[in-house]
Amino acid sequence: MSSEIKHHDLAKHIIDYGISLGADQIEAYVLFGSVRSVQIERGSIRRFTDKSNSGLGIRLIKDKSIGMASTTIFTSDSIESTVKNAYALAKVSPPDQNFNSLPNDTRQSQPIPDKFDKNIAEMPIEDFTEILLESIQEATIREDAVINGNFSVGYGERVIINSLGTERSSNQTSISGYLDVKLQDGDDVGNSYYYDAATTLKNFDYIKIGKTAGERAKKMLGSKKITTATLPILLDPESTYGTIATILASGINAFSVYNKTAFFIDKIGDKISSDKLNIIDDPFYPGGTDSASYDDEGVIPQKLSLVKEGILQTYITDSYTAPLVNLENTGHASRGSFAARPSPAPYTLQIGKGSTSKDSMLEDMKEGILLISSSLNPIGRNPQISTQINQGFFVKNGEIVHPIKNAVIGSTVFDVYEKINVVSKEIENRSGHIAPWMELLPLQVSGGK
Amino acid sequence: MLDTLEQVINEVTLSPKDFLDIRYSHTMGESFTFRNDRFDSVSNQTIGGIAIRALIDNAWGFTSIVETEKESILNAVKKVIKIAKIGSKYTDQERKISDKWVFEGKGSTKVKIDPRDIDKETKFEKVIGIEKAARKYSDRIAEASSTYQESHSNEIIVNNRGTRIENDVHVIRLMKNIVGREGTKMQNVFDSTGGSGGWELVENWVPEDEGIKAAVQAEKLLSARSPPSGKMNVIMDSSLTGVYIHEALGHAVEADGVIAKYSILEGRINEKIGIDQLDVYDDPTIPTLRGSYEYDSEGTKTKKRTIIKEGILKGYFHTLETATALDMEPKGGGRALNFNVTPLARMGNTYIDSGDMKLEEIVEIAKDGVYLRESNSGYVVPAKGQFYFNCQYGYFIENGEITDMMGNVGMSGMILEVLQNTFAIGDSWEPAFRGSCGKMGQWIPISGGGPNLGVSDLVVGGNV
Repeated sequence: MSSEIKHHDLAKHIIDYGISLGADQIEAYVLFGSVRSVQIERGSIRRFTDKSNSGLGIRLIKDKSIGMASTTIFTSDSIESTVKNAYALAKVSPPDQNFNSLPNDTRQSQPIPDKFDKNIAEMPIEDFTEILLESIQEATIREDAVINGNFSVGYGERVIINSLGTERSSNQTSISGYLDVKLQDGDDVGNSYYYDAATTLKNFDYIKIGKTAGERAKKMLGSKKITTATLPILLDPESTYGTIATILASGINAFSVYNKTAFFIDKIGDKISSDKLNIIDDPFYPGGTDSASYDDEGVIPQKLSLVKEGILQTYITDSYTAPLVNLENTGHASRGSFAARPSPAPYTLQIGKGSTSKDSMLEDMKEGILLISSSLNPIGRNPQISTQINQGFFVKNGEIVHPIKNAVIGSTVFDVYEKINVVSKEIENRSGHIAPWMELLPLQVSGGK
Repeated sequence: MLDTLEQVINEVTLSPKDFLDIRYSHTMGESFTFRNDRFDSVSNQTIGGIAIRALIDNAWGFTSIVETEKESILNAVKKVIKIAKIGSKYTDQERKISDKWVFEGKGSTKVKIDPRDIDKETKFEKVIGIEKAARKYSDRIAEASSTYQESHSNEIIVNNRGTRIENDVHVIRLMKNIVGREGTKMQNVFDSTGGSGGWELVENWVPEDEGIKAAVQAEKLLSARSPPSGKMNVIMDSSLTGVYIHEALGHAVEADGVIAKYSILEGRINEKIGIDQLDVYDDPTIPTLRGSYEYDSEGTKTKKRTIIKEGILKGYFHTLETATALDMEPKGGGRALNFNVTPLARMGNTYIDSGDMKLEEIVEIAKDGVYLRESNSGYVVPAKGQFYFNCQYGYFIENGEITDMMGNVGMSGMILEVLQNTFAIGDSWEPAFRGSCGKMGQWIPISGGGPNLGVSDLVVGGNV
């Protein structure tokens, strides 16, 4: 019996058992996976890990009351007791009048190319180690470089079945690496890092991880404090994605819209940023680490234009929230873990490019800040931004003068979106996450000088 | 289970310098969130399995399984030894575990009222009561929510040095999160109660009072001034002192980071890094606090850790491995979130000792600056010695007086500067910071706090 059939049967058993207990509707979300990882400490191997990474979550509805239960233990006793726990909680929990129904999407989903690579699934740990040793070699920019990090390969199967007929199952592989490099000259510390992830070995640039981490650490030597000022901010593509995508995810998810805490509430068809901003969400991007042919409730998603020339096009929804905001289900249900209740989240955002070269954006900057691998993020769920500069440089007359230490950028999510001033024609594509360089009009920067 | 694990350990032959431990870990938890007049989530979680580690010829191997019968554990042990041996071919660092620290015994959080004996309806009443009171207080409350959580963990740890430990930890928490909104202006108020123990730690929170208290605060904050920007004198309340010392010092003295040469405080034991009056300690043995436990996930008995005494750095947080490497006592700092991860050097309850100054005196000394209250979150880059933390709200200090309220704001500082820049230590003491700390994906309960604290030259990142 193949593992896929076995896992499908397990999920099916959960559904049948829940219905036999008296559930009106029930959903089983099952993850089966394994992870092999290597921890690097001071440039050599510290630990090999080879472990399973599996768990199941159950959502059970009785008279509009919802009970959830989860477990990592896959014995029959444990699974049946987990279903009973969900049922018992649904029995005592007050009804949720907002709940309509679990989704019933029986359309055929199309597999996404390059989501599974048997070279990763079957890679011997020795071969994997050779890869990361090459990466470490690249990161060793100086003899005394201190290199720490972690590389992982994983395989996972996601099975979602509900009592209304939704049945989905798919496989995915992943490979990722992270290196942190520290250089020290007396009290002067240069520290930086680089991370990358892919679903196939051919798309995994492990050489770049080491090379970039090492080069960046060297550039971070000689950091200085700056004086408090109002300065334009130049974001590298990673910082653009980290800033723009994070704000958008909190800003337009229908759960927060319904609860009146989304940043861009009642803004469909309205301007939410400067007209330089265009964002598409493509769930089907081939080989995207966050691409998926169905969401975490088994619904096939839509490729969506989210922001067009600064105007918000739609919210992202799931089966619970779509009726609450009077939109159709866009198939954006996402769970932080097998134990969590789904909530809408974007897949693979593509932030549109502009027409200016990134080099001229830097050259034209009289005085400002360049951020790399950073993000200007709101504090908790507030729109206020107060972010420390960890990987940033002071720029004067188009030249990078020195890295910055002990400074904070203060703003709001609305301000950041409105101040998108110039967008580069060059983009960076990291497993489907696409972003350009972006310049923001001056923001308040508190300096330690 | 202890017998099974012992049998497995006894059947495995290793060289005396090699190390093997097996940890059974089983956690059951319940959590309920009530948000805007409906239950967001009513859930029960079980996380259980066995973690196996081996240190062979200077490299670690780790695996985890969910099966608990002897045969499966033995097979997993063989697998771990095999991968550790492969790893040892690629390492050039020396790693070992001393045989000095062997523990036997049982530990458990003291629980007066077991929350598992409290019916669900009573628990629901708490979160519903808090949410309703807050939401109904004003139409400017956009979202009110309250969450109840309890977890019951059992760990059994055996190793080939002779440690045999069984330890139970019970943690309970009741939270409220209120969001005030007027147009694009939003302010969030969060607070929680609870700790390690039972229902007795949350039963005194009167839902209506707590809901209204948070709603009043959220409303007030909608009219608060924007925080200032620049380098200035900062006075922190006990809660913010807790997150401050956690970020500005705690993470940098976790010895796994020190060994990895990733901390600016590496090699600075017995060096003066703070003012004479500064004493900092971490104590997981204090009953009822959120970061309390009797034995850690390596089976080491916990003890109070002195981190700074009279401004001098005295200790790090240790696992067995780091304590061996630095020839210090471990004191139970090796914590793991669950069976699927390895123990890391972690904090428990981290505090600054109180001094002798009244808040009014501290404000007078500061003259101008900000008085910031209620922690929110923070992080640190120990390699650079640069940290960040933020608060929920604060007040301006103008001409030696506390004046207008301000909204939330973040702050930045350098570890080796700020502890020397402490200009006042208050006479109050409160364990006011009850949070969770994340490290390499492991979120564990911790607490912190101390007195009101005055620090000069912190960088405050407002948006005026």
